[in-house]
Amino acid sequence: MSDAIDERRSRGPVQRKGLGPRPVGWLDPRGRTLGHLAFVGNRITGLGLVFYLYLHLAVLSLLIRGGEAWNDFLELATTTVFLLLDVLLLFGLLYHGLNGLRVTLVGTGYVPNRQKALWWAGAFVGTLVLALSAFRILGES
Amino acid sequence: MTVRTDGGIGTERRDRQTLVWRATASTGVALVVLITVHMVAHHFVVQGTGGLRSYRQVLEYVANPVIFTIELLFLVVVTVHAMLGLRSVLFDLATGERARAWISRALVVLGVVTVAYGVTLIVTLASRA
Repeated sequence: MSDAIDERRSRGPVQRKGLGPRPVGWLDPRGRTLGHLAFVGNRITGLGLVFYLYLHLAVLSLLIRGGEAWNDFLELATTTVFLLLDVLLLFGLLYHGLNGLRVTLVGTGYVPNRQKALWWAGAFVGTLVLALSAFRILGES
Repeated sequence: MTVRTDGGIGTERRDRQTLVWRATASTGVALVVLITVHMVAHHFVVQGTGGLRSYRQVLEYVANPVIFTIELLFLVVVTVHAMLGLRSVLFDLATGERARAWISRALVVLGVVTVAYGVTLIVTLASRA
């Protein structure tokens, strides 16, 4: 037994087993577990948030052009369509943040083997916060 | 088919992956706090104009030394987290060592440019208050 372990150890870690999934195979939802779907959701919201980061910097650049440019933007930003996009942004932030916390808690070993329970707890908290925030945001339109 | 590499290289790569995972997780936890502060302070305590600050309000807000520091910290942490996340996605598309090295370099440049632009923006606005 010990020889087998020593022999395996001498060969080094397995870098890649089999051909594996295609590079974007993580996007394929067929036959996936809840954990994988949560991972896919995390990546999609993450990419959306990176896009928003640069959009946010571009919008804030209007401040450099002075008060008039900013006030023109405020008129546009308070339309119902923009406020709905704010709610979508909040969904992305809540999903990515709460799922990220779940992954961190499980990955660091603080709460191992509770992935599903944490996911549902996050979904509950996220839905509650999103509903309250959406009410607050859209209530102003 | 099983591809194995030298144990030393494997250990080094694993250490790097662990470091990247820890950096992503720690910046992510920091962001949960910073984004909550950012969102509440920017949008949920402001009355009128759809929870958005007017031009004058933004300048006064950013000029506050505490807010100025928090916003700079937020900018750095969010950029580091975003670049690490992008790296993870792009590494799935490029499995070659050279391609991955170029991706890492490009993301470092993009991250530095992003932080530099953000700092310029914050400092300029604070100086106008």
